[in-house]
Amino acid sequence: MTTTISREQWGSRFGYLMAVVGAMVGAGNIWRMPYVTGENGGGAFLIAYFLLLYLIAVPGLMGETSLGRYTRQGLIGTFRKVYGDNRLVGLGLVILIFNIVLMSYYSSIVGWSIYYAFHAVIGTFTQTDFDTAALWRDFSGNTALNVGMHTVAMLMVTGILLFGIKGGIERLAKWMMPILTIALIAIAIRGVTLPGAMAGLEFSFSPNWEYLARGETWLAALGQALFSTGLGWGIALTYGSYLGRNDDIPLGGGIFTAIGNTSFGLLAIFAVFPIVFAFGISPSSGAELAFVALANAFGSMTGGYFWALLFFMGFFFANLTTAIAITEVGVTTYREERNTSRTKAVLTICGIIWLLGIPSAMNANILGYLDFVVGNWGLPLATFIIMIAIGWKFDAHRLRVVSLNRGADLYVPRVWELVIRYQIPAIMLGIMAYFLYSNLGQTPWKTISGLVILTLMIPLCMWIMSRRHDTPYVAKPKGGKSS
Amino acid sequence: MSLSAIIVMIASIIALWGVASYALIVSIRHEEHKLALIRSQGDFEPYSPRAFRDLERWLAQHPDSEHAPEIREWQQSQRQSMQRNPQRFYDWSHAEDDAREGP
Repeated sequence: MTTTISREQWGSRFGYLMAVVGAMVGAGNIWRMPYVTGENGGGAFLIAYFLLLYLIAVPGLMGETSLGRYTRQGLIGTFRKVYGDNRLVGLGLVILIFNIVLMSYYSSIVGWSIYYAFHAVIGTFTQTDFDTAALWRDFSGNTALNVGMHTVAMLMVTGILLFGIKGGIERLAKWMMPILTIALIAIAIRGVTLPGAMAGLEFSFSPNWEYLARGETWLAALGQALFSTGLGWGIALTYGSYLGRNDDIPLGGGIFTAIGNTSFGLLAIFAVFPIVFAFGISPSSGAELAFVALANAFGSMTGGYFWALLFFMGFFFANLTTAIAITEVGVTTYREERNTSRTKAVLTICGIIWLLGIPSAMNANILGYLDFVVGNWGLPLATFIIMIAIGWKFDAHRLRVVSLNRGADLYVPRVWELVIRYQIPAIMLGIMAYFLYSNLGQTPWKTISGLVILTLMIPLCMWIMSRRHDTPYVAKPKGGKSS
Repeated sequence: MSLSAIIVMIASIIALWGVASYALIVSIRHEEHKLALIRSQGDFEPYSPRAFRDLERWLAQHPDSEHAPEIREWQQSQRQSMQRNPQRFYDWSHAEDDAREGP
């Protein structure tokens, strides 16, 4: 048996479930899923999406969470336990770097949502003849303001993480996620009662069955199922490492996390598209949808101040809980690797992310480039690495027997091992190859440079970890606890 | 709205909100049951009958594995918990005797 630093645990089941679903529910659920659903055959897309959710996201999240619960370590510590103290631990460092880069530009998106939540509070959108497009244009073009909002976002994340897992993350998620749910339900009820709103639901749910035969529908569903649930980013692994030995994983960490996360996407469909269609706005996604179209629609609605406040505060909560989770992956790992205090780990990791995030806050093209590289290859590669570690190196069978079915509310049968070993890695390789094929002709420079960076990162991280292995490192357990 | 859109919408609500709500409620209820057992008898058996059979099967197949001592420890802890505690978390009505006897 090995010795691990004694660690915090989630204070309650409800707290853990809210924190983990809060980690997965982010901007993509609210400003992307409604549009992707409508554009890819409505009901046909949802069927493809449900299938992939149950075939990939649910079993994958079960595996990642149970590995974290078993090792009770962050990313690098988990890879050290799985591979032994050698250069392959560098694979954990690769995933950690993806997380830090992801957070460096996601922080700007959190900053945008803080800015719009502030404008909702002061009632900007309900001013007579207010031009929301001009507000977004001015905000996007103001470098200092963007850096300022990125800084505010990172200060908030830092402040919350300083309170720890139970006192910070869990306490926040326990009230933010219910508020987000109530806010979206209230907006959905208001939205579907608007004249012309049914066209929005028709756009989202009307099934065009021929879309099921199109590869693009399945790829869009796969992308949404993977990126929306955060599978393979190390978040489920890190949050799982704070679970108790006899806590359930399959029902909570697997099914509830994946389905609960998608339930917010469904709620967003009800909240967003009825309003979009009722006001004759062209359906779209991303910042344009949330910050221009919806802000404009709220300004024209009766009681618009209240609806804008609910929407933008909810949107901010969704982004903040995700940002906290992504950052916690680095904090947990840094704390364990450097054997330091949580305060020092939080300040160091948040400081690094803040510095790295400045270019993305200053220039939207840098944000777009990083999103392109991390989204297309970084995250699928991270998922591939984690699934190989679980399925082949640790042994999916042993993990299922020892950890996954321990304290479980739901028995996980042997077929799960096949999904982890073969299905998810094969799909990840396929998705990376497809992104390469589809992007090489259109954006050759971005594609090749991104691939070169990623290709160099793996041997570099392995070299760094092998150097660290060569340097004598003595862990000083604080209140040592055997695992 | 068309009938097909209404059907898909209702099916989505059941498949997502229905499943998520059910999972949340069951998960919290089971946790309350676990906490009640811990309060009344100190602990409970961590493996269900099927999960425990998997554990024993693994040990039978890999008796000399480097991981066998760890799994024997979990097996032992399960047996001790079942001998010590009168109340069960899982339903052992059909498997209790087999599990106590072991492989």
